[in-house]
Amino acid sequence: MRAALDRIGAITAKEFKHLIRDPRALALVLLLPIVQLLLFSYAISFDVRNVPTLVIDQDRTPASAEYLRNYEGSNFFSIVAHADSVAAATAAFDRNQARIAVVVPAGFGRQLAAGATASVAVLVDGSEPNSARVAQAYSKALNLLYDQRVAVSWAETQGLDLTSLGSLQPQIRTWYNPERRSSDFLIPGLMAVILMIVTVQQTAVTLVRERDQGTGEQMAVSPLRRGELMIGKLLPWTILAFLDVVAIVAVGIGILGVPLRGDPVVLAVAAVLFVFASLGMGLVISALAPTVDTASITALLVAFLPSFLLSGFAFALDQIPLVLQWIASAFPARYFVTVSRAVFLKGAGWSEAWPEVVSLGIFSLVVLTLASALHSRRSR
Amino acid sequence: MTLSDNSPEPAAIHVRGLTRTFDAVTAVDALDLAVPTGAVFGLLGPDGAGKSTLIRMLATVLAPDSGEADVFGHAVNKQPGAITGRIGYMSQQFSMYPDLTVAENLEFFARLRGVPKPLRRERAASLLTSMGMADFTSRQARKLSGGMKQKLMLASTLMHEPDLLLLDEPTTGVDPVSRREFWRILGDIHAQGKTVLVATPYMDEAERCTHVAFLDAGVVRHQGTPEALKASVPGTLVEVAAEDPRAALAALQGRPGIASTHLLGDTVRVLLHEGEPVDLDQWLADAGVAALARPIPMDMESVFAFLADARSSTGLPEEVPA
Repeated sequence: MRAALDRIGAITAKEFKHLIRDPRALALVLLLPIVQLLLFSYAISFDVRNVPTLVIDQDRTPASAEYLRNYEGSNFFSIVAHADSVAAATAAFDRNQARIAVVVPAGFGRQLAAGATASVAVLVDGSEPNSARVAQAYSKALNLLYDQRVAVSWAETQGLDLTSLGSLQPQIRTWYNPERRSSDFLIPGLMAVILMIVTVQQTAVTLVRERDQGTGEQMAVSPLRRGELMIGKLLPWTILAFLDVVAIVAVGIGILGVPLRGDPVVLAVAAVLFVFASLGMGLVISALAPTVDTASITALLVAFLPSFLLSGFAFALDQIPLVLQWIASAFPARYFVTVSRAVFLKGAGWSEAWPEVVSLGIFSLVVLTLASALHSRRSR
Repeated sequence: MTLSDNSPEPAAIHVRGLTRTFDAVTAVDALDLAVPTGAVFGLLGPDGAGKSTLIRMLATVLAPDSGEADVFGHAVNKQPGAITGRIGYMSQQFSMYPDLTVAENLEFFARLRGVPKPLRRERAASLLTSMGMADFTSRQARKLSGGMKQKLMLASTLMHEPDLLLLDEPTTGVDPVSRREFWRILGDIHAQGKTVLVATPYMDEAERCTHVAFLDAGVVRHQGTPEALKASVPGTLVEVAAEDPRAALAALQGRPGIASTHLLGDTVRVLLHEGEPVDLDQWLADAGVAALARPIPMDMESVFAFLADARSSTGLPEEVPA
């Protein structure tokens, strides 16, 4: 037992030496997560600010002017032009001058004064769905802030069909918190992406390299057992990945102001299991890949695509095709993203998050067993 | 006939009918071999003869398809654990970590082998000193010269003090000075009573072995001690140095009294039948070839050339008693 631990220690110490000797790998593991975190949260933000807005005031009363001042005073909208006719909206949308047009019809002030419900039309250029949706939500929220005296009609267009303007149907949408910042939503999911990239990539390459360098054969003539090699290889990456988790959480909470409302222990356990699952996937790749390059590219695909696209990070899982949902279920990222968001944002603890944590546990067990089996088949 | 039959020492390696194929290629073909304990056993043969495959099976890193191979009495496919602790295996490929230093490589593999820490330090220091590498302990392995790399690998195989060394072409691609140095170290290892099985494509290295086997197409063509193999080729060896060796070869081939001829570098090696008078100088002069002929002692290079010749023409016995 002591001998086995010493051999595991030898492997782990060696892995750290490799890492220290390879500045690129070191940067990838330690700096990339932070860089990615900041990049994603600032540059690729889904937040919408200063949406170019066209204002069409057909009422021209003090009441309509007051209502429209709300738009001017808001950070979300930036009034780019005033116009008289709805036709101006089409032109502005076509020239990309405006994303949104607020139409206050004649009679707005009179209706308000009479205590009736006044109506306002908000036209949204749907060609950029993300900002359109958010802008729509914000303007709706604005109306609600305006003492709910204004009923809003929406027209979401892909190029604005003016004929439909006369028969606008009020659409009921779920309440969308205008204070909500997308970084709160992004960072818990981003953790999965970063962890996957760091862990899968490294482990996928590591065993192929031992084989290529012939050092694998030297290990084969030593008393080192397969399981010991696996543990020795996984330990450093588990430690480093966990450091990454801590760094991401620290930057997320400290710099980006993401709330951590739930049980950190649940998050930590889920993170460890997720790291094991990812490392196991890396080991499976390294068992099957013929060369270091193949392993590296495969790892990138396996690590990046599912964790980015099929984890619920970028797209809500219930809105992607069923087949893709099944595929998503075959990767650990979706379970971890769910746990992470639940803990961060919904304040989840064991009672809410246990099914995903169990899924992660089963997944990592299966994939590590598979990796071990594949490697013993591959040798000799 | 195998060596163990009349060798006083028990065999360190005993191989019977060992076979291994890769797809359509039979790399080792029903091979028989016995390596006596304490021998420096040279495994000679061209590329693709099956030397590496044989050594890798003996090192337990490659499983045989059929046949038996025992190392120190343990079957390679049944008790690899009983074998690996007593062997040092040096692959043909450089198999140290290029980014680790000389000392770190030795330390790592010795630690895997379970060598206690104080011994690791001590042995690494004494091995590196004896190999003239004491100044390179903290150099990264990738920055070593070819000869140094081979010595590092040899040192690594010696850290756990194995009884048997399996060396797969340790001197291939190494400069002549380093090769000589390497064989000096092997001589020291032999003097310590260890058994060495060393594959090499260089015939001159066969001279330094206590026993040799010549492999071709996965089969042992000839084996024995260098002396016995030399004695098995009767006649006198003459070396003909000529400006145009091919012309000299043509002038001598098929003449009476000449058993065999072959080219070796810029010279022609001629084997003369015992007791038959020949006039090499005259024949060369008749052909208009400027050449100088002189008798030389038999060497392994010529032994194998003549044995291969004889096997294809007269069916001389393939195995020579030790």
